[in-house]
Amino acid sequence: MLELSSLALQIGFLTVLYVFLFWVATSALRDVAQAGRPAAAADPDATGLHAAVDSMAVASSGADAQLVVVAAPGHETGWTYDIGPGATLGRGDVEIRLEDQFASSRHARIVRQGATLVLEDLDSTNGTWLNDSQLGGPTPLHAGDRIRIGDSEFRFQP
Amino acid sequence: MSDRNRELFALVPASLLLVGGFAAVFIQDSATLSSVSLSYGAVFLGLCLAGHVVVRVTVPHADPYLFPIVAVLASVGLVVIYRIDADLARAQAQWFVVALIFFAATLIFLRDYRKLERYRYTIAAASLALLLLPRVPGLGQQANGAFLGVRLPGGIVFQPTEFAKIGIVIFLASYLRDTRQVLVQGARRVAGITIPKLKHLGPLLLIWGAAMLMLIFIRDLGSSLMFFGGFLAVLYVATDRLSFPLIGFLMFSLGAWFLATHVGHVHDRVDAWLNPFDPVLYDRPGGSYQLAQSLFAQSDGGVLGKGLGASILTLPGGGNLVPAPQTDLIYSVITDELGLTGACGVILCYLLFVARGFKIATIARDSFSTLLAVGLTSVLALQVFVIVGGVTRVIPLTGVTLPFISYGGSSLVANFVLAALLLLISDRARRPA
Repeated sequence: MLELSSLALQIGFLTVLYVFLFWVATSALRDVAQAGRPAAAADPDATGLHAAVDSMAVASSGADAQLVVVAAPGHETGWTYDIGPGATLGRGDVEIRLEDQFASSRHARIVRQGATLVLEDLDSTNGTWLNDSQLGGPTPLHAGDRIRIGDSEFRFQP
Repeated sequence: MSDRNRELFALVPASLLLVGGFAAVFIQDSATLSSVSLSYGAVFLGLCLAGHVVVRVTVPHADPYLFPIVAVLASVGLVVIYRIDADLARAQAQWFVVALIFFAATLIFLRDYRKLERYRYTIAAASLALLLLPRVPGLGQQANGAFLGVRLPGGIVFQPTEFAKIGIVIFLASYLRDTRQVLVQGARRVAGITIPKLKHLGPLLLIWGAAMLMLIFIRDLGSSLMFFGGFLAVLYVATDRLSFPLIGFLMFSLGAWFLATHVGHVHDRVDAWLNPFDPVLYDRPGGSYQLAQSLFAQSDGGVLGKGLGASILTLPGGGNLVPAPQTDLIYSVITDELGLTGACGVILCYLLFVARGFKIATIARDSFSTLLAVGLTSVLALQVFVIVGGVTRVIPLTGVTLPFISYGGSSLVANFVLAALLLLISDRARRPA
C-alpha cells in the first residue's frame, strides 16, 4: 500500500511539474503569436472604460500628442512617445531619455500652453533644432515639425 | 484570465509539488502517510501568496510567469534538501522567508530601478570589493581550493559572488549604454566581420584582465566563466557585433588554457574532468571522487528515478555517498530521485525563466533596461550551465550553486533579488503608456 502511494506520489510529482511547464510554455507561445499583431489589437487588458476616458481627452485637449522617432540612437525608428501634459527630453532622469553623446541631461522640454504645445530649449550645450534651424526662444509646435537634438530626430504629431 | 490572476493560479502547482514531495519523503522516512506535508504545503502557498500580493501592488503589469517559475524551483529545492537533511530544510525554509523579504523590499524600494545608473561606479567598486573579500585573511574561507565564502559571526557563511554578479551586471549595463556607440564607430568590416579599432578594445581587455585575475585570486573557473560570459552577452546586445563575443571567447579560452596548464588547482580540476574513473585520480584528495560519485548517482536514477527519499545517499559507515549533496551536487541528487524526466523538468524550468528574461529584454523601452535584463538573465543561465555542465561532465566541475534550488542563504536571497529586478524591468516595459 505504502509502496503504491509512494509510486503514485512520484508520478504525480512529475506530472504536476510537466503540466506546469506545458502551461507556461504554451502561454509564452501565445505571447509570441500576439506580438506579431498590431499593438492596439493585442492589448487584452484595455477595458471599455479606459477607451471612453481616452477618447474624451482627445476631443477636448489633444492630450495624445506624440513624438515619433525618426532616427535616434537607442530608440527604434517609428516608436512614439506620449507628450501628455508636457515632457522633458535629455540624457538624465527625464520623461524621454536620449542616448545621444550630444544631448545635455535636461536638454529641452515641451510644455502645454492652452491648446498648443511649446518647445523650449533648457540652456543645452549643443542646442535644439526645429526644422533645420536652431531654436531661439520657446516656439509653438505644429503637425509634422521635426525636432533634432544631436543625432536624435523626432517628428511632432498632435 | 488577467496576467496577475494567471500568476496567482500558477502558484498552485508549486505548492502541490511541495505537498507531494514532502509526502513522498515522509513515506520513505517513517513508513506512514502523514498529513503534515499538507500543512507545509499550506505554509508555502501562504508565503508565495504574500509574495504575489507584493507583486500585484508594486508591479501590476509585470511578466506573470517569472514568479511562479521561481516558486516551482524553490519548492523542488526545499523537497530535495528536506530529503537530504531535515535540519537543513528548516534552515533553508527560513532563508526562503528572508529571500522573499528581500524580494519584496527590492520591488518596493527600487520602483525606479533606473536610479541605479547614477551609482554605477559605487556599485562596481562594491562588487569588486565583495569578490575580493574571501581572500582577506581571517575572513575568507577556502573550500576545495577555491576562495568563495566569507565566515560571518554566528557561523553563517556568506557567498559574496552571488551578490557581486548582480552589481557587476548593473554596472556593465549602464556603462555600455553610454559607450556602445563609441565601440562601434570607426570599425572596419572585413568579409562581413567587424574588426573594432584597437583602442576600443580597451574596456574589453580590462574586463578580460579582471576575469583572469579573478581566476587567479579566487581560483574558480566557474564564477569567472559566469561573469565573463555575462559581460560578453551584454556587449553583444549593446553593439550588435558578433566579433566582440567571438574575440572575447577566444581570449577567455586562451587564458583558461594557460591557467589550466600552469596553476595546480585548476589543472587538477581539468584532470579529474578528463579521467573521472581513473583509480589514482579517484582516490587522490581533491581528485575525481566527487565527479565520479555524482555520475554514478545520476545513472542510478534511470528514466523515472528511484523515487523521492528512495535513493541511496549515505554510506553504510556514515558520511555522504555524493559529496556536498545539498549545494553543488544537488542536481545529481535530483537526477537520482526523479530520474531523467525530473532533471529535464528542472532544466526546462530554467529555460522558460531565461526565455521570459530575454522576452523582457526585447520589449524594454530604453536600452539600459534591455541591457540589464539581458545581463541578469545571461548570468543566471550561465550559472545553471556551469553547475549542471560540471555535474554532468560537460565542462570541468566547479562549485557554484544551482539558483533557487541549492541550499544556501546568499544564493537564494541574491537570486530572488535578481528575479525582482527582472519583474521591475518587465513592469515598466509592459505598462500601458
